[in-house]
Amino acid sequence: MGAFFTNPLIVKEMRERFRSKKSIWILALYLLVMGALLFGYLYLEQMNSLSVPGEEREVFVVMAVVQYAMFCFVAPALSAGTISGERERQTLNILLTTQLSPFKIVTSKLVTSLAYIFLLVVASVPLYSLLFLYGGISPSQLLTMVVFFAVNILFFGSLGLFCSTWIRRTGVSTIIAYGLAFFFVVGTGIIVLFLAQLIEEISPPGVHPFDYLGMQILCSLNPVFVMFSILGVDPGDDLRLFMDPWLFFVIACCFLSAVLVIWSGYLLKPVRRSWLGWKKR
Amino acid sequence: MIRTEHLTKQYGKLEALTDLNLEIEQGKVFGFIGPNGAGKSTTMLILATLLAPTSGKAYVAGYDVEKEPKAVRQSLGYMPDFFGVYDNLKATEYLDFYASAYNIPAAKRKSLIADLLELVNLSNKADAYVDSLSRGMKQRLGLARCLVHSPDVLILDEPASGLDPRARIEMREILKQLRSMGKTILISSHILPELAELCDQIGVIEKGRLIACGDVDEVSVGTRGISVMQLKVLSRQEQAEAILSQSPYVRRLDNKSSHFRFHFTGTEEDKAELLSRLIAEGIPVVHFGDSNENLEDVFLAITEGVGN
Repeated sequence: MGAFFTNPLIVKEMRERFRSKKSIWILALYLLVMGALLFGYLYLEQMNSLSVPGEEREVFVVMAVVQYAMFCFVAPALSAGTISGERERQTLNILLTTQLSPFKIVTSKLVTSLAYIFLLVVASVPLYSLLFLYGGISPSQLLTMVVFFAVNILFFGSLGLFCSTWIRRTGVSTIIAYGLAFFFVVGTGIIVLFLAQLIEEISPPGVHPFDYLGMQILCSLNPVFVMFSILGVDPGDDLRLFMDPWLFFVIACCFLSAVLVIWSGYLLKPVRRSWLGWKKR
Repeated sequence: MIRTEHLTKQYGKLEALTDLNLEIEQGKVFGFIGPNGAGKSTTMLILATLLAPTSGKAYVAGYDVEKEPKAVRQSLGYMPDFFGVYDNLKATEYLDFYASAYNIPAAKRKSLIADLLELVNLSNKADAYVDSLSRGMKQRLGLARCLVHSPDVLILDEPASGLDPRARIEMREILKQLRSMGKTILISSHILPELAELCDQIGVIEKGRLIACGDVDEVSVGTRGISVMQLKVLSRQEQAEAILSQSPYVRRLDNKSSHFRFHFTGTEEDKAELLSRLIAEGIPVVHFGDSNENLEDVFLAITEGVGN
């Protein structure tokens, strides 16, 4: 923990980020959107039917989906400019001549980006406390959901960081990070649905699409399927998975994030050693 | 302190640096002269461990830049030709960040930063945001940044570029101070007269090749027998110009009313003869001698025809 507070890059990034008015505006806007959606939904619900506190799970589901969408939107944007921003400001070369290793630079950048996103999560806790009035969610479900959000933030942050290291311009890096995040959330779901339909059409009767391991893995990699399974919203009668989908998802996301961070560290090295000898840059 | 052996860098088919052999001794200031794209920045990037050479070796403070980059980084302060600063930081915080990045203990940083700011004449801007500093101040802050870990070697790529005359003079004075502190400095500049006063040695690089290297006087006179001379007269400029034009040793005559600048290809005796002729013709000569400030002319003279 001591190393966290003495890491020069983390200290500098924190200073810069929290001095910037943009950070305060993003936080305010985030809470405004979340609050407006929550109160708007609750208002409409009360108009249409009589809400019974303790038996309403829908509000939590809506909040979770909205918050997840916000993370998908914010996390890549915050991390997709970390390294390319240094490059555009012409500070990267200087940074690389210090004693900070490329791996330390990328991990510090990731930590500071994620710290800000976690601040958004913490700031939205009071809104979540309102949901407890309506109940319908077990503590274990809530905890699993928090873990699910955390690994998603980690993955999207790592994805943005990788794009930022790989691509020189922040604008292009952000667009590609959004594209890859969109594919991860929506694309994998569409592929699962398409393949399930295809397998069902071409397979003999009695063979279920989710009997195949590949389909199970693909399905467990789709955050929408996983989130609904955590929330207890049945995504389909026939969905069968070889292990708890959220657990598989957490392991997969952590693994992919680690790969992306290590790869980013490698890409950031000014002089990279390839398998065939020195690779020139 | 800095040594390169047959250093070559290719970008695809383009040879940015060809067989560069340099040796800069400890405490010397070496000026790198050359047009844009000549290979100055490429050499500096290789020495700063930011670029791998295609072939050849480079050493900084005795460390191999490819094999011991960490040790090289600890021994050198690098200032690129263009560099940005972190806008939301104060000058002290900016230096504190880099001191910390070089593992300087927190207890030592405060006094170190105060000393550095004093060295670069920015003590009164210690609590100013970097964003609010002028370009000259930012350059000086960048120089202070290079010095946070007290490196023996400084690599400064165009440190005076884009500065106004006053800021250039301030920068030059700081560099002189650093020279007196025994730092080995490799500096490149487009403002060549600055190098003449500052450098012990210069190297002229063109199209990736080092075409002249040595002491400032040695390079200007020795390489092609060309020296850059100045003549100042009180009156009778037309006659003076005519005499100079007639001399077979005078080239590139530049007439600024009573002030002439020209390349002289003859010997010391030829110079004496030219002066005698001017006096004999009754020209009121105020000054006749080598121009020690115009390296641009030296550079142009040396690089004449290299591109062809």
